[in-house]
Amino acid sequence: MTILPNVQNAVEQLWTHKMRSMLTVLGIIIAVTSTITVVGVIQGFTSYVSEFLQGLGTNAMWVWPQRPPGEAGKRLGRIELDVHDFEAIERGCPALAMVSPLVRRETARFRVGREEITVPIEGVSAAYHAIRNVHVNYGRPFSVLDVEDAHYVCVLGREVLRKMSLDEGIVGETVLIENRRFRVIGLLEEKGSFLGKNQDDVMLIPYTRALNMYPNSRRFMAMTAQAVREKAVPEAKAQIINLLRRRHGLSAYQPNDFNVLTQDEILEAFNNMSLVATAVLAGIVGISLLVGGIGIMNVMLVSVTERTREIGLRKAVGARRRDILMQFLTEAVFLSVVGGGLGIGLGYSLCALVSLHPQMVAVTVPWWAVALGFGISGGTGVVFGLVPAAKAALLNPIDALRHE
Amino acid sequence: MNSASSDGMKDAHAHGLNEALIRLEAITKIYPMGGEIVRALNGVDLAIGANELVAIMGPSGSGKSTLMNILGCLDVPSSGRYWLGGEDVARMTQSQLAKIRGRRIGFVFQTFELLPRQTALRNVELPLTYTGVPNQRARAIAALERVGLGDRMEHRPSQMSGGQRQRVAIARALVQRPALVLADEPTGNLDSKTGEEILDLFAELHGEGQTIVIVTHEPDVAARCHRIVRIRDGKVESDTSTKPDTPVAAALAMAELAGEGMS
Repeated sequence: MTILPNVQNAVEQLWTHKMRSMLTVLGIIIAVTSTITVVGVIQGFTSYVSEFLQGLGTNAMWVWPQRPPGEAGKRLGRIELDVHDFEAIERGCPALAMVSPLVRRETARFRVGREEITVPIEGVSAAYHAIRNVHVNYGRPFSVLDVEDAHYVCVLGREVLRKMSLDEGIVGETVLIENRRFRVIGLLEEKGSFLGKNQDDVMLIPYTRALNMYPNSRRFMAMTAQAVREKAVPEAKAQIINLLRRRHGLSAYQPNDFNVLTQDEILEAFNNMSLVATAVLAGIVGISLLVGGIGIMNVMLVSVTERTREIGLRKAVGARRRDILMQFLTEAVFLSVVGGGLGIGLGYSLCALVSLHPQMVAVTVPWWAVALGFGISGGTGVVFGLVPAAKAALLNPIDALRHE
Repeated sequence: MNSASSDGMKDAHAHGLNEALIRLEAITKIYPMGGEIVRALNGVDLAIGANELVAIMGPSGSGKSTLMNILGCLDVPSSGRYWLGGEDVARMTQSQLAKIRGRRIGFVFQTFELLPRQTALRNVELPLTYTGVPNQRARAIAALERVGLGDRMEHRPSQMSGGQRQRVAIARALVQRPALVLADEPTGNLDSKTGEEILDLFAELHGEGQTIVIVTHEPDVAARCHRIVRIRDGKVESDTSTKPDTPVAAALAMAELAGEGMS
């Protein structure tokens, strides 16, 4: 007996017991839906994050002062990173192409005329544009002189303009930042938002000016740097660490009083996160598959009992054990694959729905997730359909025909 | 016209048993039931030639059903030999028996046993799906036309009368062109007029050369057959040949049988 009549038969059975079949495959639907959705979201985030990291500038790394955790950290004196450290790194790390301080405040009052908003502010050097890959596409970027002489100049992100309903005519005009008069010299190109945070909602000023405005940051400065090549990233990191440890007079047993993080490490951290998410997913899928599989087994056992006479008749007209086995196995697999198909559809819809959210990444469902969905649902059908199918196949035709 | 069972066997031997379609030799069937051993069949010898129309009769508990199961290859005997068309069926495996059932035996049941959600045509096609013969559709249509249901092919069992359902079942039994049609109380669920029509159909099929065995306990059904084998206590009690060529003869045979039943 070929597969086609079995499938036809399975379709008829499913159609006859629509309600029962749907309830039965609910577990499978949940399993496949969650697989598709979570894989889609993780995939979306992964490509998004790597894209974002690329946007941060290639071979970028960050340095900031940090008290190490534990006893050793407590014994350290003041945790400092100042402009001299910056200058030393700028001079003494041949593996670094560029380095810029990063003096950041989450809120700074920004005022044009009578309107005032708060905007994140970053004090940077001229190299910052190149490192972070944020370029000025209207007006001009900072000059070395702007930074050296701590000029009252600023570069604005596009979101700031949008919030204040300004146009490019603002370049060359004077604005108030923290009640100080600044001249707008340029506008940044659009970067879009990342994880719901608008990257264009920022204004840049020379770090020298920022240190004047925020004296606290003079001894607590962060930096961003770029290695000369991708291969030079670990070397650059080592050079920064050596240099800072020497400058801070740390002994061999003392931990770093600062932290250096490279792009790769961020990506790695993110990959670890998505690994955890995948593990959680595997748990959900495993449990729902077990529930769904037991449901299928149960319904198939009921079906075998209900159709005992049919089985007897089929055996009487020439069906062998393997024919009956295949018939019921096909039915179980068909049932669970239909559940898998519904789950894939539902997962796709959920992904599309999630993508509609304005602050959500574009969720993409890879083809292998679809294949996986069908694979696991079909596999569940085989595993849990085997017992009922074997029960049917082993029925004695005489008893089966006499069954009431 | 009548002869004792031993004479019947001798006649059969005289005609050459080796050419018989069905030959049972010392068939026994024993099964345990609640710690006791039940001898359902206790040495049955029976030969049925091609194109015979045989009735197997017997009271309940006589071993009649067990004999039918063995004849239909649904069960294997505990001992003895069963030759079906030259093959020793008694020693076959489950899988081989299934093949034999599919190719050589057509079953007709008291309760029809049609698949309720499938059309008459699909029901008749069912045995063919297991043997994989070509032209399944055409053969099924031919079988349905043969039983006079050419216009009911797309009907489901629920849309048909009892007689029509049994005709579908007969078409299903015929579709493999089996060596033997085995009918178990084929008129048991039908009114007498419809039952008569079904028996007429069996008679026609017999006239075309089909070998038919009808298991029944109704004397008027048995009266339509050319040979009556009676089973009692797991043995052949009598084996009678009749020739109900004319309605009068049939009536006579029936009267005689009815008389036997009363005594």
